[in-house]
Amino acid sequence: MALPFPLVRLQLVNKSFTQQGVKEKILNNISLTIEPKTIVGIIGRSGAGKSTLLRCLNGLEKPDEGHIFFGTDDLCLLDEESLRNQRKKIGVVFQNYNLLQSKSVFDNIALPLKLAGFSTDIQQERVAYLASLVGLDHKLSSYPHQLSGGQCQRVAIARALAIETKLLLCDEFTSALDSQTTLEILDLLKRLRHDLGLTVVMVTHDMNVMQQIADYVYVLDHGSVVEHGPTLQILTGAHHPVTQSLLREFLKDELPDFIANKLHPAPQGDDDIMLKLTFKNQYATKPLIAQLVQQWHLPLNIIAGNLHHSGTHTFGHLMVCLKYDPNIIAAISTFLQNNAVQVEIMGYLQWQS
Amino acid sequence: MAILNLLAYSFYETIFMVSLSLFIGVMVGGSLGILLYYHSTPGLKPRPLLYKALGFMVNSLRSIPYIILTVLLIPLTRFITGSSIGTLSAIVPLSLAAILLIARATEDTLRTVPKGLIEMGLSLGADPLFIIKKIILPEALPTLIAELTNITIILVGFSAMAGTVGGGGLGDLAIRYGYQRYDTVLMAFIVLILLLIVQAIQAVGKYLTNYFRYQ
Repeated sequence: MALPFPLVRLQLVNKSFTQQGVKEKILNNISLTIEPKTIVGIIGRSGAGKSTLLRCLNGLEKPDEGHIFFGTDDLCLLDEESLRNQRKKIGVVFQNYNLLQSKSVFDNIALPLKLAGFSTDIQQERVAYLASLVGLDHKLSSYPHQLSGGQCQRVAIARALAIETKLLLCDEFTSALDSQTTLEILDLLKRLRHDLGLTVVMVTHDMNVMQQIADYVYVLDHGSVVEHGPTLQILTGAHHPVTQSLLREFLKDELPDFIANKLHPAPQGDDDIMLKLTFKNQYATKPLIAQLVQQWHLPLNIIAGNLHHSGTHTFGHLMVCLKYDPNIIAAISTFLQNNAVQVEIMGYLQWQS
Repeated sequence: MAILNLLAYSFYETIFMVSLSLFIGVMVGGSLGILLYYHSTPGLKPRPLLYKALGFMVNSLRSIPYIILTVLLIPLTRFITGSSIGTLSAIVPLSLAAILLIARATEDTLRTVPKGLIEMGLSLGADPLFIIKKIILPEALPTLIAELTNITIILVGFSAMAGTVGGGGLGDLAIRYGYQRYDTVLMAFIVLILLLIVQAIQAVGKYLTNYFRYQ
């Protein structure tokens, strides 16, 4: 069923918790939309309110104020019974899988089906289908303690998709996995989005995950949305200090201390100059560095760098060091800037010694 | 030999007392334990006042030593079974002890199940009954059986005190025909039988625990 408007829409959602007499505002006038068949990331530091926000999306938390529209229904106005029905269309994947240790993979995946009262035949059929979707066909009679973390997470995903799920909520679920497994699971999600038309909301504190999988990102800080936009825009042009600090760990674009300490703000003697070249939204890999070296005969030292590739875009930075000559520097700055590369002078130092 | 007859009959009395009280304990105590858990767990149906009242009742009754409990319950025993003496009467305090032990063990065991599973159940759109029946209980079952095994052994011990109300059983036999007649051999023999009973209970318990670990 195609929905003509956003799948989920939050309007001015507020939520406070009172702990030991102190009232703390966890969600502050949050408004956001989630379009169908997209993967939306919600990123923020611990305590930003991400998990609370996620729990509001399936009615496990009720906001003090505001509206949460899932399709045409306002989850805040529904009674417990109707809320339970809505939850059957929303799947949740948890950080620690939450599988039944005493039941087989088959029974774990079939749990929502049992809840809905489907016959054993339908259960067999459906579980077989779901298991093949997530690549666990041959593990149906295994038990969770016999599976790896990645396999457990796949079981959890299969379970979450059991009954015609429209929306999948993921709560930091890659935190417990190693990076290789994380990549595999994220690939799985992308495939499911493509094959099933699934909409995913992913809560995380890891920018890597955002870059891998999200189409759109909301940045949360102390209960408010401080920045949002398409993923590439956030990765390359973040404005808000919180976003930038989250990006810092991901982009790794700061000089190591032992180099930074050697920099002088003004040229001394026959210092070299350190430049930071920032690449954003490169649509093609242009051999810019090669051109620089050829055209100006520059012995260019590449000190540090980090380039990320996201679909067709390349972005990142390079720290380069070269002999200081004001004219040449001006010329190459212009050249680079004409090619959409940002040039920043980091300082001057004796590098070639 | 008459003594063999007595032994056989006392054995039967012990098994009868323990089995019946265990059964009553599981039915009433198990339900009580589930109720206590149900009304004290966020996500299910927390009712703090009801929980405090029930919990207080269970805890205070539990703190009464069994032998004193037996004596205190004489009026009730008389009311239920028409007498304060005999095997059937001994089952009254024994069942109450079973109920209290099992209620506590059930509640505590249910609590050891990770809370995340409740949240998972809620996120599936399950009602609290489904969550308890199909999620919490299956996960808690192996531990529950292990606890029940221990409780059964405790009940065998308690049943030995049934002699104080003329309840019969192996304990009574050991004291009256063994200890009080200076018949150490008989006493030792009965202890051996009790040992074997306990071993048998443990073996069955262990088997069942493992059987239900992976359902």
